[in-house]
Amino acid sequence: MSDTNIYDAAVDQSAKDAYFTASQGQLIWTRFKKQKAAMVGAWVLVLLILSGLFAPFLTPYDPTIAGRDKDYLNGAPTIPQFCDDNGCSLRPFIYGLERERSAATNFRWVTTVNTEERKYVQFFVEGSEYQMFFMTFDTHLFGIEDGFIHLFGTDSTGKDIFSRTFHAINTSLAVGTIGVFIAFVLALVIGGISGFYGGWVDSIIQMVTDAVRTIPAIPLFMALAAFIPDTWSAEERFFFISIILGFIGWPTLARRVRTHLLTERNQEYVLAAQLCGASSGHVIRKHLLPSFTSYIIVDLVISFPYMVLSETALSFIGLGLKDPVNSLGVMLQNVTSADVLLNYQWYFIPVIFFIILVMAFVFVGDGLRDAADPYGDSKK
Amino acid sequence: MVQFLRFAGIRATLAFITLCLVSFIVFSLMELVPGDCAERYLAFKNSQGAQISIADIEAERVRLGLDRPFFERWVKWIFNAFQGEFGDSCILRLDINQLLGQKVWLSIGICLGSLLLAYAIAVPVGIIAATSRNPFLNNGLRLVSYLGLALPNFLLALMIMLFSTMVFGNSLTGLFSPEYRDAPWDWPKIKDFLGHVWLPVFILGWSATAFAIQTVRALMSDEIGKLYVTAAAARGVAGRQLLMRYPARHALSPIVNSLGFDLNRIFNELPIVALILTLTEAGSLLIEALARSNDQQLAGAIIFFLTGSIIAINFITDIVLAIVDPRIRRSILG
Repeated sequence: MSDTNIYDAAVDQSAKDAYFTASQGQLIWTRFKKQKAAMVGAWVLVLLILSGLFAPFLTPYDPTIAGRDKDYLNGAPTIPQFCDDNGCSLRPFIYGLERERSAATNFRWVTTVNTEERKYVQFFVEGSEYQMFFMTFDTHLFGIEDGFIHLFGTDSTGKDIFSRTFHAINTSLAVGTIGVFIAFVLALVIGGISGFYGGWVDSIIQMVTDAVRTIPAIPLFMALAAFIPDTWSAEERFFFISIILGFIGWPTLARRVRTHLLTERNQEYVLAAQLCGASSGHVIRKHLLPSFTSYIIVDLVISFPYMVLSETALSFIGLGLKDPVNSLGVMLQNVTSADVLLNYQWYFIPVIFFIILVMAFVFVGDGLRDAADPYGDSKK
Repeated sequence: MVQFLRFAGIRATLAFITLCLVSFIVFSLMELVPGDCAERYLAFKNSQGAQISIADIEAERVRLGLDRPFFERWVKWIFNAFQGEFGDSCILRLDINQLLGQKVWLSIGICLGSLLLAYAIAVPVGIIAATSRNPFLNNGLRLVSYLGLALPNFLLALMIMLFSTMVFGNSLTGLFSPEYRDAPWDWPKIKDFLGHVWLPVFILGWSATAFAIQTVRALMSDEIGKLYVTAAAARGVAGRQLLMRYPARHALSPIVNSLGFDLNRIFNELPIVALILTLTEAGSLLIEALARSNDQQLAGAIIFFLTGSIIAINFITDIVLAIVDPRIRRSILG
């Protein structure tokens, strides 16, 4: 065999080599990139996560009662526009609002739109202070000099729904993350013990897991959440709710971990490690865990929307988070009244964000699942 | 036959053990929450103006048997529960059976109706989707199944309410018209009930339908590619007969198996949907019991009922599968 031959072969093989030497992560990423829906989902998700993280900067007002606009309760959205009857401007503007109460309005407060007065949208305005990354800022992406701008309208106390929505995304993601993390740790420990030891340990653990799985989660959750003392602060409730979510979410994950371990532990590489004298802990950490990290990540992403969903459902009925913590469920409280249904439909705008958020997670989760499946390519 | 009875017996025992285990979990959780029945009742009396001392609370505890050890009370509770006795509600001091009454059966009925509807839609649609090459249909169904998660039942209920209020000026809530609420069951009441119940049944079945379509489709498309289907087609079986007699029968058993968990999913959302649509059956009673009065006795009974019906469904599906599926039948009969 001559040198040139080897050289040619190397050139021919370089593409294949890249494939064969690629790490698991690189392979998954290559397959993931091919899926259009999953990529769109991923971008939307990144966008939503970023907008959740930078919510205080992106939104003009404080989402709590401190940032309320007391002259504009249940106010309709004020949509910035470029053109009107009086001509166009490059800088978007909104109309001024006038609030009055007189004999003409039957002594009720009535807000009228003054189409003659233009208020121009400013960028990087200074407003309420907020904390981000342990520093204090007061610059907001946009706002107006004098008065308020409410892209999604205001609620019954005059809080800006746009600001609340973005903060709510942040909260929902945080609750989901903590919940998923706790569920993950529990699932790993319980499923790990069950799958690695097998036998009667496995049978008993499986029985308990199945029993937990038969209990409808949300009614049980309601039973637990209802007993949170009223004296707890919003933050304590937040952590408690996340923890319960985690405690209820583990069985499905644990089952997957167990099934995977049961099939993997009889593989020859495990036997080889055991023959070399490796301890159980070492085998689990160094050999078994890496063999299914990708599956676990996928499962975590897939179980995320369920967490967000449960939190929203609970907060919606008033057993989950409460003011001043904003979450999507908290924002949907009290929307079933006829008044809101008939007159203040902008209360429902956060629902759109909720749907987009869950959809993005589902698309990414599905894409990841297909990408992490090593036989996905050979099937077709 | 003997083997079959033995199989049924083993399954029944397993279901029973699961039920005991579940009741233990539920009972302990109800115990873990701060405060007990005696305190709650007397706190309630106190709010009505009566003077309450520590001794009164202790006396009430003894009267309710709350001074007994935890395990003993659980055994007593589960023993009574199997006889259909759940004792008195903590706060209302009414017999729980009386309080729940037909509400439990009504809500379990509604949920079973949703489950039936879900599969009545999902099985044919899933089979069509698996055989169809129409990309429009397939993508549409994929979207629907994603929406089943992204637009959960309670949000769907909200959206339908918003829509119906805006368009028809009627929010379509409740289970009965006011004049029938307390009337005895007769034909006009049943008609009125059916006129109201379709919406909750549809809304509760929505997520389950979306998921079931996905499952049926996946199972069917797995089976359709298999060799026995090709062999059958080569023998000249075609069209609907081919689908129904070969792959559909194979795909059946995992679907029947998942019924219990679908029921679980429906129960999950029952209380919230019930609250939104102001249905006055067990679901909203649960919220009432929990959110308003912290009534652990009532909450425990309701959760026990819900879980019990899921376990019952699981047991029935096991038995039905053993009868219907020849593979399982043969493995039992040896």
